[in-house]
Amino acid sequence: MERAPLKFSKNGQPHSPGSVTYQATTDQLANGHPLALSEDEGIIDITTSGTMNERHMDEQINISHGSGFADSDDIPGIGQYEDFHTIDWQRDLARDRMRHRYIVKRKQNSVLDLVKGAHDAWSGWLCVLLVGLVTGSVAGIIDIGSSWMSDLKYGLCPEAFWLNKEQCCWSSNETSFEDTGNCSQWLSWAEVMGSNKDGVMAYILEYVFFVSWALLFASLAAALVRMFAPYACGSGIPEIKTILSGFIIRGYLGKWTLIIKSVGIMLSVSSGLSLGKEGPMVHIASCIGNILSYLFPKYGRNEAKKREILSAAAAAGVSVAFGAPIGGVLFSLEEVSYYFPLKTMWRSFFCALVAAFVLRSINPFGNEHSVLFYVEYNKPWIFFELIPFVGLGVIGGVIAYIFIRLNLKWCRFRKMSRLGQYPVTEVLVVTAVTTVISFPNAFTRMSTSQLIYLLFSQCGGVSYNHGLCDYIVNPNATGTTNPTTSEAGPGVYSAVWLLMLTLVLKLVLTVFTFGIKVPCGLFIPSLCLGGIVGRIVGIGVQQLAYHYPHIWIFAGECSTKDCITPGLYAMVGAAAVLGGVTRMTVSLVVIMFELTGGVRYIVPLMAAAMASKWVGDALGKQGIYDAHIMLNAYPFLDSKDEFATTALASDVMQPKHTDPLSVLTQDSMTVQDVETVLKETEHNGFPVVVSRESQYLVGFVLRRDLILAIANAKRTLEGLRADSIVRFVQTDSHQESNLPGASPYLRLDKILDMAPITITDQTPMETVVDMFRKLGLRQTLVTHNGRLLGIITKKDILRFIKQIDQEDSTSPIVMFH
Amino acid sequence: MYFQCSVFAVLCIFLSSVSQVESTYEDARCKCVCTVNNGTMAIKKLYIATVPPNNDCDGVMPLGGIIDKVDNKTEELCPRCICTYESRNTTIIKVVVIIVIWIISLLVIYMVFLMCLDPLLNKRIKGNYQEHTNEDDETVIVGPGLGVREFSGPSSGNSSGSAHPMGMRSGNVLNRVGHQQDKWKKQVLEQRRNIYDKHTMLN
Repeated sequence: MERAPLKFSKNGQPHSPGSVTYQATTDQLANGHPLALSEDEGIIDITTSGTMNERHMDEQINISHGSGFADSDDIPGIGQYEDFHTIDWQRDLARDRMRHRYIVKRKQNSVLDLVKGAHDAWSGWLCVLLVGLVTGSVAGIIDIGSSWMSDLKYGLCPEAFWLNKEQCCWSSNETSFEDTGNCSQWLSWAEVMGSNKDGVMAYILEYVFFVSWALLFASLAAALVRMFAPYACGSGIPEIKTILSGFIIRGYLGKWTLIIKSVGIMLSVSSGLSLGKEGPMVHIASCIGNILSYLFPKYGRNEAKKREILSAAAAAGVSVAFGAPIGGVLFSLEEVSYYFPLKTMWRSFFCALVAAFVLRSINPFGNEHSVLFYVEYNKPWIFFELIPFVGLGVIGGVIAYIFIRLNLKWCRFRKMSRLGQYPVTEVLVVTAVTTVISFPNAFTRMSTSQLIYLLFSQCGGVSYNHGLCDYIVNPNATGTTNPTTSEAGPGVYSAVWLLMLTLVLKLVLTVFTFGIKVPCGLFIPSLCLGGIVGRIVGIGVQQLAYHYPHIWIFAGECSTKDCITPGLYAMVGAAAVLGGVTRMTVSLVVIMFELTGGVRYIVPLMAAAMASKWVGDALGKQGIYDAHIMLNAYPFLDSKDEFATTALASDVMQPKHTDPLSVLTQDSMTVQDVETVLKETEHNGFPVVVSRESQYLVGFVLRRDLILAIANAKRTLEGLRADSIVRFVQTDSHQESNLPGASPYLRLDKILDMAPITITDQTPMETVVDMFRKLGLRQTLVTHNGRLLGIITKKDILRFIKQIDQEDSTSPIVMFH
Repeated sequence: MYFQCSVFAVLCIFLSSVSQVESTYEDARCKCVCTVNNGTMAIKKLYIATVPPNNDCDGVMPLGGIIDKVDNKTEELCPRCICTYESRNTTIIKVVVIIVIWIISLLVIYMVFLMCLDPLLNKRIKGNYQEHTNEDDETVIVGPGLGVREFSGPSSGNSSGSAHPMGMRSGNVLNRVGHQQDKWKKQVLEQRRNIYDKHTMLN
């Protein structure tokens, strides 16, 4: 199940076949250091993985025990990253393995150490358990809060102001409830103001209240985001994807982002804007995962390990958003995660389960399910229907393509023009336009989730349906069977016209809404667009079947009974549009079938999702999230893309032939020299070579580590002068530095990565890109005849890929890093 | 943060008072979907019945019989009803909604505080400490138009050097809180620059 099989996932498996052991090395070490491992342990520990990092790290432990130096961790900040930097998966995972080995080794020493070991072993599970519990509760709060605030736009439940309309009328047994969705306990604003229930005055009053509440909510959301946590705006999924692929955005998953995103999404959903809370829920869950991971140093201090928790949290987010735990796990696997070993999958599974359970026991909608638009279907479908289903997939793909194109154009415009300077004003204008247009149309006036529920549900039940179920009643029907025929009455036709209007409105509004500076997700509007198309097509097919029941395509199934269910078409259409927009397939189908609780519809959903993906891929290459990643120029190296090129590593590497490569030497530079290099260049890391004359590679050192280590040495090491020699390698001449009079050496061998990944200059770029994707590299060094030539960083790779993608494009490419 | 502590304290007080309020709305119901045959056709109707003590909705008949509204006279019909038991928890809803209201109002109060009072306070404390550590900061914040300035509360007071002037505040705890707050404000400023001014993120 590994998506990007980073090679390190198999650590801790002793004696695995084909493993490499560095026995000779360990022997040597064991001789040199009194506290080193016994030979046997060394073999167990140093297995798999095939990089020299292992040996290096092991050496560090031994050194630290042998010579009284503490771990490399004791220099504060080592192993962490600057803002907007890419993490080095290899290094972080190696660090974790080292830490793990240390704990395992200590286990025998005392009971306390044993307990510590046990705690370390289960901390991953404990962490995801906590993440699940908190995510479920937060989702419950958001669900209840937003449904209450949404209904605040229409009226109030004076006796119990905390109840929304549905809950207010929940235990009322008035028969009028089924016709208008209203009961006497619930007062619309017109009634509260003392006006009549009907009439022009009441309509105007309600209109005004509707618009002003929406404006209030939207401005609050925009202001809170602006004031406390600007990172809380938008959907968050493109950024989560980038973060999970190994990028650091400080504060993006912080406390304030969590609070403001939770409050903001409630406000923006209630304001009636065309947006949903599902995408932000993933962001919220990831924030929770990040915050809770700091309780466990194993995850909090190690960026690569932290991403395992974040993957699980993302799964929990989708799990609570749709009440679909398995769908959540698959979403995490298919859409957001980059590094997804089996262990993470099980944790995600557990996390999604706990979160769904908590949300289900909160029962936020009072319908015993964790989503508002849960529908239960059990009607069969006939074989012919696959054709309209595939057709829906095609339509969905086209709609999704239109949406992505327009939305990207608008977002680019916002980015480049003066519009971007008025974020709060933009929110207010969009809200005003949305609400003013929405109120007159019954389908747009209700919240989008309710509309989806209406579209998904089948007729025959009792619900307030705005004419969607106005079928002609057969006067001859007797007994208890469903008396309505499937011949559409006038109500259905007018509803269809209204729905078409709604479709256009929602499409246009969503294009302008996705990207404004409030928390806003995309799932609900896409589901809604698809649902509308699906319902319309469904009604069409139903009428066809009613009027011509004997055509061969229906295979006689429709001559006796009602065989077409428009609600099912709505569901398939929703899946199609969502699939086209996000380019999800497996997770989408699973989410949809968990929503309906019927395995029967997997094939229709699959057909639609596949058709929509094909059409979408044929029209435009990227899904909305990838497009936004491109737009924002995040350093995201997609592991799905394939590309063919004849370039070699030497064509891409930095520096180009004329410029010199800034390097450090292993034992001939002074502190001052190193500081000069640091000052004069902006590189994030430096290769260390034997000497300037013979540029043979020794290792690689990161800029941040170098700065921290020098600063630390200046504080702690006495007698350090500007002309002290910096030593990156451990030499046998310990005594030299202790000679009286000589300035002490600054030993930096602990921060040196002695096992940097190297390639030769003739390596094809396909291989290099593959290495970056699969190993999660941050940089690789290029050598020729064993001599160091240059360096290729992830940024160079991304630039290179973009260059290939758009040979003709002249737009300058701005990159983070 | 003292702000968060106060949130917690107020919440505790409020929650304890809330839990004493009687719930007037029921937490369980029998939802009955009845098919009524009035001679010519069958109509489905929804009835809500109170739950019998044994929590069994199966034997529930809607109270008072079914009123046939077509003929506008009370008439006991013979409906076939399928009743299901449904439950909810109004206490959770109440508590959650009140928490939400509190959080939002506290955030708004804090926002208003940061926008109006904080710049004034800081200006007085700082006095002649005005040092311009980063020219870029200033230009970026002043540069953009109205839309950005509308809510640029903390930025106006704290865009120039930050941690040291706070030392004027008395008390160790307050000092630390102030320091934390400054760090946070700096982060927010950075985020705002990325999003609203440079447009490098979240477009």
